[in-house]
Order: sequence, then structure tokens, then C-alpha cells
Amino acid sequence: MDGISYYDIRHVTGQLTHIDIDNGVTESAGTSFFDHAVIRALSGKGWGILTIDNFAEKTDKEIKALIGNAGSISAITADEVSLADVKRGIRAVPSMHENPMDVGIEEKADLMLSIERAAKVEGVVNTRANYIERFEEVIFKDSSGAFEHYEICRNGFGIMAVASGNGALQMGYERRHSLRGLNIRHQQELGRSAGDRAVALLSAQPAKGGTMNAVLDPELAGVFAHEAVGHASEGDLIQEGNSVLAGRIGERIGNRIVTIADDPSLPEFGFEPCDAEGSRVERTEIVSRGVVAGFLHSRETLAAIGNGHTGNARAMPGEPPLVRMSNTFIEPGESSPEELIAECRNGILLKGSRGGQVDPGRGIFQFNAEYGYLIENGECTKMVRDVSLSGEILQTLHSIQLCADDQRMHQGYCGKGGQSVPVSDGAPHILLAGAVVGGRVSD
Amino acid sequence: MVPLIFSWPVRWWVAVFPIEEILRKGSFVADEIEVYVTQGQSVSGDLKRTKITRAVESQYFGLSVRTIKDGRIGNSSSSNPGDWEKCLKASVASGKLATPQLWKGLPGPVPLDSRPIAYDPALIPEKNVLVDLLKGMIDGAASHPVEVTSGGAAISVQTLTLANSNGVYYTRPQGHVSASIETIRGNSTGYEFGNSYTLDLDPVSIGERAGFLAAASSGGVDISSGPCDVVLSPIAFAQLIGAVLIPALSGRNVHAGRSKLAHSMGLQVIDPELSVFDDPFLENGLSSTRWDAEGVLTRQISYIRHGILESFSYDLKTAYRYGHESTGSAVRTGHGGAPAIGNHNIVVEGPRRDIMDEKAVYVQDVVGAHTANPLSGDFSVELTNPFHISGGEYEKPVRKAMMSGNVFEMLGNTAGLGNDNRVIGSLVVPSIRLNKQHIIGI
Repeated sequence: MDGISYYDIRHVTGQLTHIDIDNGVTESAGTSFFDHAVIRALSGKGWGILTIDNFAEKTDKEIKALIGNAGSISAITADEVSLADVKRGIRAVPSMHENPMDVGIEEKADLMLSIERAAKVEGVVNTRANYIERFEEVIFKDSSGAFEHYEICRNGFGIMAVASGNGALQMGYERRHSLRGLNIRHQQELGRSAGDRAVALLSAQPAKGGTMNAVLDPELAGVFAHEAVGHASEGDLIQEGNSVLAGRIGERIGNRIVTIADDPSLPEFGFEPCDAEGSRVERTEIVSRGVVAGFLHSRETLAAIGNGHTGNARAMPGEPPLVRMSNTFIEPGESSPEELIAECRNGILLKGSRGGQVDPGRGIFQFNAEYGYLIENGECTKMVRDVSLSGEILQTLHSIQLCADDQRMHQGYCGKGGQSVPVSDGAPHILLAGAVVGGRVSD
Repeated sequence: MVPLIFSWPVRWWVAVFPIEEILRKGSFVADEIEVYVTQGQSVSGDLKRTKITRAVESQYFGLSVRTIKDGRIGNSSSSNPGDWEKCLKASVASGKLATPQLWKGLPGPVPLDSRPIAYDPALIPEKNVLVDLLKGMIDGAASHPVEVTSGGAAISVQTLTLANSNGVYYTRPQGHVSASIETIRGNSTGYEFGNSYTLDLDPVSIGERAGFLAAASSGGVDISSGPCDVVLSPIAFAQLIGAVLIPALSGRNVHAGRSKLAHSMGLQVIDPELSVFDDPFLENGLSSTRWDAEGVLTRQISYIRHGILESFSYDLKTAYRYGHESTGSAVRTGHGGAPAIGNHNIVVEGPRRDIMDEKAVYVQDVVGAHTANPLSGDFSVELTNPFHISGGEYEKPVRKAMMSGNVFEMLGNTAGLGNDNRVIGSLVVPSIRLNKQHIIGI
């Protein structure tokens, strides 16, 4: 290990249980196992990284040799990487009301079948239910003597209903994920909700495209915070010069009512006891009352660009860490959702999310609602389908006119650099003035 | 001399991994058993701006076991070869939960042409080659007034082995090279990439294209909302059909009522000039193979010929259940590495012409294709690097625009395929010209 100034090892073992039900048929159900390790080393240049499957059986001597090899891999790198000092400390994994691993898979399959049956309302031609449970045991250690060990179990489900009528197909979808324990009991109502929505969408009209006022529900407004602000605040993108937020600390980019934060210490789906570099996790205020206040960081990006603290290095098992969001949210305001609809007057209410995407360097984002309602004279009227919204990061926060008081978090997975990590996004209902809505027809 | 942790060639596990023993033990607990093993290694390097800041070597192993007993299909996987007995047990337990179905057996062995397709035995995961790829892209980008923000290159080689209790024991090598780079000028971004089974990528031209896109997109003009003729690059075209058309051709989605094409067999479903087929034997295809992920021989599948729907894709499970024949379309994308319906190299063909000549909005890529409605085909996406084009030239960049439409309707009203062709993942497509698409501007 000559010449190695720093190394760390993150070893994740665990198992993945799934149940896949398609129209009442249990297509597949069972458990798979994984064992992945990532060894990173610095020796005067950039990162040398080894990723290895089946690490559990390695001896101390082999591990020492692997660390040396990781160092030698960095021979092709050119830039010296500096690491910021790190605050240590691990937070307790939130307690579970019922450990999913204590419940037999047969019982889980029965619970999923009951959710799936509930989705079969009249007009629904297909239902599909998925359960996923992921148990991970994580061991982190580094050359400074840090050692962290924790176990975490996440579980959740998705239910999709497809309705058919007049040659058209539409779908309704609900999902819930949790790290607070088994999350599939008493969820039949969500099955029904997916079924009802699929049927209702058959008679919904395509949205009109154009610039209009829009009210976003908490789920979609959470995706908005994630896509429009969260990604652009990631330290690696700032360091690369690939974010419109670079160099804008202290600059006003939005209305005073807008505060957006990321907090991996919250007991939500994006929780981490410590990050993938063994750093203590805590809240980062990205936008504070409309002003850019901080960025999300790994040790490398904090040392390179400052403004924030470590704690947002996250990784899929077997992958090197990247700067990632965790639980990202818009703080609530004081209005009621009804006041937002009334204030909107004429426009559109957008609900649910089919995901989104951002080009942080260009500063443009897009995301898609599952459905919506026209707002006419301050009241919700006809249902519309297939509505998306796009905007420019530096303008869009100025257009938030009101935040309601009903903040809620929604769970999902976020993809970046080929890695998918659990996140939650949250917000209250928000009112956007002059939003660019993509629809199939224009006035 | 830098010590190598990997010993070449790549098949270091084959000698010691007891596939035969798993098959033998499995035959005591199941009617049939199948073992799928992937093992390989890769190297990759990442750029932050123009510096290589990270080099990664990976060594990976995957075992997937499938058991069938009384029509109940079970599956499990592990990244630890020492776990195979646990995996076998978990597979049998998994089968007990599955709903039994009509099952007519795993395939038996057939004589195969042993020459791999789209494989270059000279390709090895060599770090210095990465450096050449990364430097080449940086040099290419430097021919335009842009900054490089990030980039990466990777080389991987792996061996896939499939064996089952009916005597199938197939092995094939696979290699992959990829390179990509991102650039920026002001707030205009450019991205370009290349993928191949061999070292034939031209990193300088990849860098040049990424540089051109950022530089030429700078100073964009606003566009007003309304209908516009559009040319989609192969990337933008692949994004939209990948999100909507390809899932609609899956036999599983068809029989489950999740495909808009379910009741259209024999009918014209897209423009009569267009044909869509899967060619697993393409010499430059990234997913070329003679046998699919469950040992069925692959074949050309004509999904849509001259606009008429001719076939859907099936794996064994779906084929047995619905009285069809497997089309050799199984890929390993199911839970726990189980086989599921996929495709190999989907090709879109039709008469080619110069589609850049007449006025149109050219679209390099789209943001948010994955948010399209896969059932109805409706989409609404933000455009990446849109340009007004005329006379084959990029005239003016468009600052910001969305495009909304329906993929099925869009494919019914096309105005020709371009003279280019590009391999994008498991799609091989040209650029395409579309009439009167709905653009939402400022």
C-alpha cells in the first residue's frame, strides 16, 4: 500500500425479495442474494477504484493487496483529488413497526393479491402488482480508522390498473415505499384508487399546450423541487461547470416564500444513517427564502467548491459514490390548497407524477403529471390527461406565487450515472404563474 | 509493472464453478433446472472537465438459477458463487409461490455455429486505451469554442454461459466499448456518445459533435407554438419508440391487455413505407446472439412489414401460456436475473432520402421520453438542441421548445427516413422526418 494516502471500503451484502402479480397470476416471487464491495484509493492523483463481487470471502491479506491494486489503477488519472474533512457520526436507522423479514412471503403474496383485486373495478382489463423488499447490511471503513456498520430494510409496492374503452387504453398507478416497516397491510384503497383513475382517464381530454397558471399537487411539486433545483445543486455538476446554479450562492433566484432543502437525516425513504463516505448526514438548505444558500456534497466536491457540508455521497451496492439527493422538499407555506385553486382562477391543476428529467447545464427541466383538471373561474372542472410541464431553473422559482400548508413526501427512485437510489420528494400544493404546459392541442 | 488483479482470459470462474453439480442436485428437487452464469471485467475512466479524475476496474459475477416443477417456475440469483446451494433452494421455494402454468419444457441442445457474432477477441479492458479514447474526445471538442464538463469511457468483456438439465451448455463471449462527452457554452449544452463491440469508435468525431452541439445551440431564437415539420435524430427517434412502440410488441403486454397493438394483427399500424424487425445476427449489433437467454435459437422477427403488423415477441413462458411459439426473444431482465421478453437488435427500415433538405425543426434529443404514456402512446417532451434547418444546413438554434404528440400517430404520418443509421443500445435506427408535429414554444 505504498504511497496510498487514503482508502475506503464499502461492502454491502443483502437480499432482494420480490412478488410480481399480473392479472391474478403470481408470475414470480422469491429471493435473490448479493455481495458487492467498492474499494477506493488515493495516491497523489485521482481516484483508483475497484469494484468486486463476492467480497465476503476475502482474507485480510487479499484485501490489503486489493487496496494496493486500487491505488495503482489511478495511474491513468491526472488530477489530484483533495478531500474535505468530514464530520463522523452515525444516526440510528428509524425503527420499524413490523419487520418485513419477519413476515412470510406467502402472507405478503396474499396481501398483494388483495390490493390487486381491489384495483379490478368495472372497466379495468388488467391489473399488475409488484412488491419489492431490499435488505442491506453495510460496512464502511477507511484509512483514518472510521468504521460504520448498519442494517436497513426498505419495502414497498406498486399497483397499476389498465382500463379499456372505445379503442383507448389508460392506466392508473399508485405506489408506496417505506423504511419504517411492512407497508402492504390495509392498502386496498390504493388499489381501488388506481382502478378508478384508469377508468376516469378514458373520458379525460388531452390537455391544451401553452403558457398558463398551474397548481401542482404535493407529489408533482416534490418532483418539481427534485428536477428543477435538486439536481442542479449537486456538487459534482457544479464542479464540472455543468449547472446553472454554479457561482450563484447568495443570488436571488426565486420568490421569498420558497425554501428548498435536502435532508438525509429525515426518517423518510431517502434516509441514510451515514453517507457512502462515512460522513454524518444533515439538512442542507439549497434555496433559502428565494436565495441560493448551499450545494449538496461529497468530500471531494466540498473541498473543490465549498458552500455546504458533506453527507450526500450515496451509492448503489457495488458502485462508487456520487453526489445525490436524499429527501428533497419545498417547505410549506400558510395558504390552503383551496385558496391556491381560487387564486389560480383559470389554469390547470396537475396531479401525480410519471417522472421527470433535467439538463442542469442548460437549466431546463421537464416532468409529467399523471392527470389533471382544468381550473375555470377558480374551480376544478374537466379532467385532462397526458400533461407535462417544462421550465427554466433560473426563472421558475420566481413564478411560485403561493405555497399551501399541506406538505407531503412521496417515495421513488432517482437515476444518475447508471445508479438508482431511493429518494423521497415532498412539497405542499404550489401555484405557478405562467407555466409552460405541454399538451396535444393549442388554442 | 502495475500488478493486475485480473488474469486473462476472462473465464477464470468456468473452470471452478460447478455448473454440472448444480444441474445434478437440481434434478433431485425439480423437473427441470437451468443455470445462467455471467462473469466478466471492465475498466472505465471518468473526466471532470478535461482531467481524468477517476479510474475504475470491476470484476463481476452473476449466477441465476431457474427451476421448474409441475409448471411452477422458480428463480433466484446471487453474486457469490459460493451461494449456489442457497440459490438453488431459494429457486425451488420461489417456484412454490408461483401460479402453475402449462409448461412444455426447456429447450434441448442443437448444433450451433460456434463463431460469435459482433465479438472482437482482441478487445481487452486495457486502461491505456481508455486514455486514448478520453483524450481523443477532448481534442475533438476543442475544435469548437466550448468547455468540456464531463465524459467517460469504458471497456468490458464478459462470458455468458447457459446450461440446462436437457443438455444445453452454451457459452459465448461478449465485449463492449463506450465513450461519451458533455460540453457547454454559456447555457448551451452538447452531449455525444459512441458504443461498439470493438475498438472502432472515433473519439475525435464524438468530441467534435458534442462541441458542435453546444457551440451551435448558443444564442437560440424563440419559436412560436403550432404545427411544425420535424426531423428527429436517430437518438431522439430511438428514445420515443423505445418508450412506446417496443413495449407494445411484447407478447406479454399484448395478452395482458397492455398493448395498443393487441387487436391489430394483420392490420396497417404505421406508415406503409416503414418496416420494424429484430435482427439478432447483425454484425455490428450490440445485442447480437445465436441463442436467447433461455437457450432458444434466435431468429429474425418481422414485427411490422410495410406498415402491417405481423408478429409479437415471445419467451417460452408466455408462448406456452398463450399457445404460441417462442420467438427467441428472452433476455435476462427479469427479477433475480430471470428471463423475460425483450429484443436483440430492433431495426427500423424503409426507403431512404435526404430529409434535411426542406425546412424543418431538427431535434437532436428529447428530455423526458420515459414520461410518455406507454399504453396510449401520448408524449410531451422538451427538445434538446433543436435547430431550424433548411437546405441541409443548421440555420438557427431554437432556444426552448416542447413537442407533444402520439407515437403511434406520429409513425403513421412520416415523411421519410434519412440516409444515416445508428446503433443505439438494442435499436438500429436512422433519422426520421415527421409532418406537422405539435410544437409548444414561448
